[in-house]
Amino acid sequence: MIILPFPCLSNAAVRRALRKELLSALRGSGSPVIVDLSGCPPLNHEDIELLLECMAQVAGRDTQVLFVAGSRVNRVLLEVTRIPSLVPVFNSVQEALAYPKATVETDAKDQSASQAQRLWSA
Amino acid sequence: MELGAFVVVPGGKDFTTIHEVQPHITAGFENPRQLVCSRMPIVGNDVLQSWMDRIRKLGVQSLWLTSGRGDGTVTRSELAGFARQGIERLLVIKLNSYAEMDLADLVRFHCESRNPVTEAHDAQGQMGISLLDHLALRASEEKNQLSAATPDSGQIPYQFSGYAKRILAARERQELVGDALTGACAMRPFGKQMGEQVWIGEGVKLDSSVRILGPTYIGARSRIRAGATLGPFASVERDCVVDCGTTVERSTVLPRTYLAPGLLIRDAVVDGGYLEHLVWGTVADLHPAGLGSRIPRRNSRRQSSCEVPTEGFPPADSVPAWGFASSSGASQPWLQVQL
Repeated sequence: MIILPFPCLSNAAVRRALRKELLSALRGSGSPVIVDLSGCPPLNHEDIELLLECMAQVAGRDTQVLFVAGSRVNRVLLEVTRIPSLVPVFNSVQEALAYPKATVETDAKDQSASQAQRLWSA
Repeated sequence: MELGAFVVVPGGKDFTTIHEVQPHITAGFENPRQLVCSRMPIVGNDVLQSWMDRIRKLGVQSLWLTSGRGDGTVTRSELAGFARQGIERLLVIKLNSYAEMDLADLVRFHCESRNPVTEAHDAQGQMGISLLDHLALRASEEKNQLSAATPDSGQIPYQFSGYAKRILAARERQELVGDALTGACAMRPFGKQMGEQVWIGEGVKLDSSVRILGPTYIGARSRIRAGATLGPFASVERDCVVDCGTTVERSTVLPRTYLAPGLLIRDAVVDGGYLEHLVWGTVADLHPAGLGSRIPRRNSRRQSSCEVPTEGFPPADSVPAWGFASSSGASQPWLQVQL
């Protein structure tokens, strides 16, 4: 299980760095990935584009991606963009962790968990 | 006995025109102000217009229109000014509800009960409609400030059991939309019925691939682009654009709103670039994500015409020649409207 924080992106350079980090984590992961928008203010169009890229990255692969909206506003924006019809969206990381498919592999992915820890602290 | 009528339109200085809300929303707005206001059209209808029609049936020649204070209240002393002008009985309507009320019955009740103040109530409580005798106004002129529709304690309220909805609550407003579309109330969509519970206003442009599921209303001059789906229980008010592939379901899109392609608008009211979710009560700003926006007025002629008070009385395509007279020296800005 990997938890990837999706922070407030203040400028283009930070955004590029996050994009690279997110996409490489998604590419390299065989376990479920939670993209956590809790630290993100209301999503803008660049954020949504990046989320769509994340979805495209795992499409056709076994990797499952889950989004944590983090706020009702983000939840509304995700609903409006129809993202929940393609990717499960949760209100909190706890809810996402309780999602059945995500929990199945949790125990077997210690290495991924430590990676997630690194990303949280980043 | 001379009867006067006073209508308070809460929430805006420019109470004669349809409101376009510019909420001051900041990041992290989980419980922001609501989007809807009383002058926003409901399936093409103006609730103020419906109250004016009911007041006219009482034989009242004109009414006074004001925005009240910020919360839509007026003071009793302000109302008492009308008593001094010779009006002996004052009907005060705070424009926060749509109600299919026989105002003559309210007047009859008021006369029979000999209340100085009669307040209309329904199952939810105060409706914002009251009838005040000049003696009641003058007696308390100096001491009480009241909501335009707040009675003195101890008065016998007029119990209204007919159809009523609070239009300032987004969910209830959407219920009114549904009732108007299904014939569950007297309000009818302002447009031509094109099919089973489908109404379309003048000048609407629909792509041939658009899917419409009744009950649905599309207001005048709105444009629905390819692959869009409207309904059930959708109301797209006048001058909107719903872009390709977007779905509007159990929702209202208020006038001059643009919705980007591919969206799902469900259980919501959208006004320009703001969306209020009817279940969660959350207002989201659609601008940063490029999902919606306010459509600018088409040209300067239309712009200027929209600034005059009469533009605010829809059905906008057939503006009646209301006569307005501005107040002078009153503590509240108000207008006199000839009925």
